Amino acid sequence: MEKKSFILKNRKLIIILTAILAAAAVIPLFSLRINPDLESYLPDNIESRINNQKIGDLFGTKEPIVVILSTEDVLAPETLERVDNLTNGFRDLGTLSPIQSLSTAKNIRGEDGMMLVDPVIDYYPQSEEEREELRNRIKDNDLAYKLLVSEDFKNTMILLNSDLSVKDAELMNQIDSIITLYPGSEEVLINGQPYLRDEANAKISKDIMILLPLGLLIMLIFFWFSFREFKGMILPFGVVLISIAISMSLIPLLGWELSIIGVLIPIMMIAIANNYGVHFVARYQELNAIDPESSMADIVEESLSYLKRPVIICGLTTIVGILGLTVHILLPASQMGVVSAIGIGIALLLSLTFIPAVLSYLKKGKIHFHPNGESKSIIAKALSNLGHLLSRHPKRILTGFALFFIAITAGIVIMRVASDFNNILPAKHPFNKSIEIANREFGGSKLMTAVFEGDIKDPELLKRMEGYEKELSEVEGIGSATSIAKIIKKMSTALNDPSDPGYNKIPDERDAVAQYIEFYSMSGDPADFDQFVDFDYTRAAVTIQFNATGMKDLERIIESVNNILGNDPSLTLVGGYSLVEKEMSESIVKGQYYSLLFAFIAIFLLLAIIFKSISAGLLGSLPLVFAVLCTFGFMGWSGIKLDIVTALLSSVSIGLGVDFTIHMFWRMKSEISSGRDYREAAVTALKTAGRGITINALSVMLGFSILFFSSFPIIKSFALLIILSLLFCLVSSLLLVPAICIIFKPTFLKNGKKHEII
Amino acid sequence: MKSFNYKLNTLIITILISCTVTAQNPKDISRKSADAIALGSMEMTTTLKIMDAKGNTRSRTLNMASKKFGDVTKMMMKFTDPADVKGTSILIFDYEDRADEMWIYMPALKKTRRVVSNEKGKNFMGSEFTNADMSKPNIDDFDYKTISSENINGRACHVIEATPVSKEAALSNGFSKKVSYIDKDNFLCYKIEYYDLKNKLLKTQIIGDYRPVEGGNYFYYEMEMKNEQNGRKSVLKTDKFKAQSQMSEAQFSSSNLDK
Repeated sequence: MEKKSFILKNRKLIIILTAILAAAAVIPLFSLRINPDLESYLPDNIESRINNQKIGDLFGTKEPIVVILSTEDVLAPETLERVDNLTNGFRDLGTLSPIQSLSTAKNIRGEDGMMLVDPVIDYYPQSEEEREELRNRIKDNDLAYKLLVSEDFKNTMILLNSDLSVKDAELMNQIDSIITLYPGSEEVLINGQPYLRDEANAKISKDIMILLPLGLLIMLIFFWFSFREFKGMILPFGVVLISIAISMSLIPLLGWELSIIGVLIPIMMIAIANNYGVHFVARYQELNAIDPESSMADIVEESLSYLKRPVIICGLTTIVGILGLTVHILLPASQMGVVSAIGIGIALLLSLTFIPAVLSYLKKGKIHFHPNGESKSIIAKALSNLGHLLSRHPKRILTGFALFFIAITAGIVIMRVASDFNNILPAKHPFNKSIEIANREFGGSKLMTAVFEGDIKDPELLKRMEGYEKELSEVEGIGSATSIAKIIKKMSTALNDPSDPGYNKIPDERDAVAQYIEFYSMSGDPADFDQFVDFDYTRAAVTIQFNATGMKDLERIIESVNNILGNDPSLTLVGGYSLVEKEMSESIVKGQYYSLLFAFIAIFLLLAIIFKSISAGLLGSLPLVFAVLCTFGFMGWSGIKLDIVTALLSSVSIGLGVDFTIHMFWRMKSEISSGRDYREAAVTALKTAGRGITINALSVMLGFSILFFSSFPIIKSFALLIILSLLFCLVSSLLLVPAICIIFKPTFLKNGKKHEII
Repeated sequence: MKSFNYKLNTLIITILISCTVTAQNPKDISRKSADAIALGSMEMTTTLKIMDAKGNTRSRTLNMASKKFGDVTKMMMKFTDPADVKGTSILIFDYEDRADEMWIYMPALKKTRRVVSNEKGKNFMGSEFTNADMSKPNIDDFDYKTISSENINGRACHVIEATPVSKEAALSNGFSKKVSYIDKDNFLCYKIEYYDLKNKLLKTQIIGDYRPVEGGNYFYYEMEMKNEQNGRKSVLKTDKFKAQSQMSEAQFSSSNLDK
């Protein structure tokens, strides 16, 4: 090499600049903040959030937290005492009112011309008879039975309403300290958004603390086994470290916070960012083995000129695939797109500058590469066998793929979209256990609110609302529907005797309604009504409690609600957190389509440009379409739902998977141009390039497999799906693409000069 | 000379301090302050305005009469406005040592109904006032402490902190302490701050427009209670006041509610 390349001429500067960049990237990491609140990442102007905000303004912005006590019989004196103590303890916190529990529940009834108001629990039953008497009294109280106590009396609920003045961690700490202050044998389960966010928050930090070191360790071991040389291990590892630091530090620098999706970023870097450095080290060792006499500078120069083009192309396609995420509606997804694309870009850049610059200063190592030594390896054997199959039965392979494709993609029909974010936490987590109890025993864990506007004291409107309550509660999945109408009707049973015409009905006259309400507001807490009607009685809420098992179910319930309420002239809006969750899930699906579309078009164009052929674009995209659709099919069959995390995987797998095909094309083209026919070219490509592709794919899969150690089940699902998806990509680029080439003999492989082989 | 002056000064200061100590026994001040108000037996017309945090207002006008018969204070209230609740009347027998008795008459139902509640009604007519704000405080329920002096509306006031004597007293009153600003001259109270059980400021009561009434006492024609935690506010404005109700015990009866 007479002429030194730009890299080697400026090697000192490159090393210094890299060191400065690495040091500078560490500083912003200290200001990295976690924000587990997924809702906060939604754009403010989406309809469900606006509606939810309006409802909050009208009826108080509160976040419910449900504490469930689970035991053999909640009417045991020690359980009732604990409920009393907990209720008082929560009340003393001052930020959780109104509080509803067995301790606050009233028994309002009419008897012998009197209205009686008693606490539901006025004594702790000591004998079996007293306990059964209390049980029967609760069964008659429709404001307590099945609302605060489950039908089987094994669960009781304390409903708290956070006024949002205290941060999640502090609030949950306070609630925990009250629960530990009054210990008991009952199992205490909590649900509610503040709890979910707090748990997610703790797990995000824990995940990164565990996964990142574990991932780095596994990579180090992997590098050692691959290269058995210190520099071979440390150089790609350094590149991984620097690109992780840079991508993570971009989050605070761009004014963003770390969401649950952020857990994926460093692990993705570990899996992907080493690729380019690995190629370089591999090539150095190969050249060192082939010509032990050549100098380190020569080896570096040669490796660089040999690798520049294919490594840049593979890097770019990966970046393009991941950039597909930037068009995602959901902020954390587009943030991940930007940050990881830049991180991978940096890794690519450092692999082609920093690694050769450092390597050129180092002494050559022992020879570690044995060109024929690994031909007996499992991978080589498997590829050789596949080569025979490919050469003899390309049509059978094609048929096999087609059958497999049809069978697995049939699962897409039953693929479901998650309608909430409860699956962020494990199914056995107390949060999900309590959600399960709420769904099974208390009429549902989801809420929807319909707002009516008009003269709320008008008996006509109230009677309509009463009718809706009844109709709604008959819809499958809806546990209860409650409004001011129910309370006025309840008042009528207290203010009238059963023989009176006005008993158990909405009064016919407006004045009577006004007087009932006046009386109720006189005797209760003025805030009691807040959740049902606004201050000047012009707007009222019908609160619908329900349970939905997925997006389709949620849509069915929403449709039923619309059918029942939709035509009422006084209905102004329907909202609630579950509708925000629904819109979030929809935007995840929509975002996924945009990202997919973007990635496919970009990669199609890239391939078409690189190989100067439309059919190269089409054929190259085929393994990706195959992998993405098969992954969706698998999700359908296995019951893994499309959610905020799993929706990201197709962009990532497209970006990575396209590399496999590019390598295959490259090698086949090279073989064909050196005079081989399509069949020979395909088999050779499989046996040679196929080996590199397989090792590369396995290392990326290994990197992603670290995510199995995450504490979030949705991230574990992501790990499974991305590995599967890469596997689909790998198999289809190794077999499907060459089989098609053998059968259809695309002309783009014939054109042009001989390409270098990687 | 110098020494004489010093002794004189010391003497004056000593006398001043001892005078202040006798006049400033906080419990006495609180008792005098309670006695300065003509509560107990009266008739009045009052307008109650209940406001939410956003300033929306609900207004009720009612006639009230109260009088003490033995150990029971009987109170009668009748709404005159707004129209949809006009005529609704309430009779409360407030016993010192047992649960209240209450009757309500609703014109729309045209009948009187007795209300038996084992829960002590905390809020007066759904406002920020409590029923206790409508009657004379029980001086012996609290321990008193003078914490400072302050000027309110140009008047020098004692600032006195009253703490419930027991945990039960605190629970039944719903506050951990109250701080009263009491005029040093005439013992009228201008401001009271209530602290919740966690010792955070809960409510601020402003009392004003004191006017002398028969019998040498005063009555406040305007009273405001602001909940500092939820932003709600209630204002009670007296339109007419007469100390010493002339109503007989028979008139304070449930059969009289529809009259």
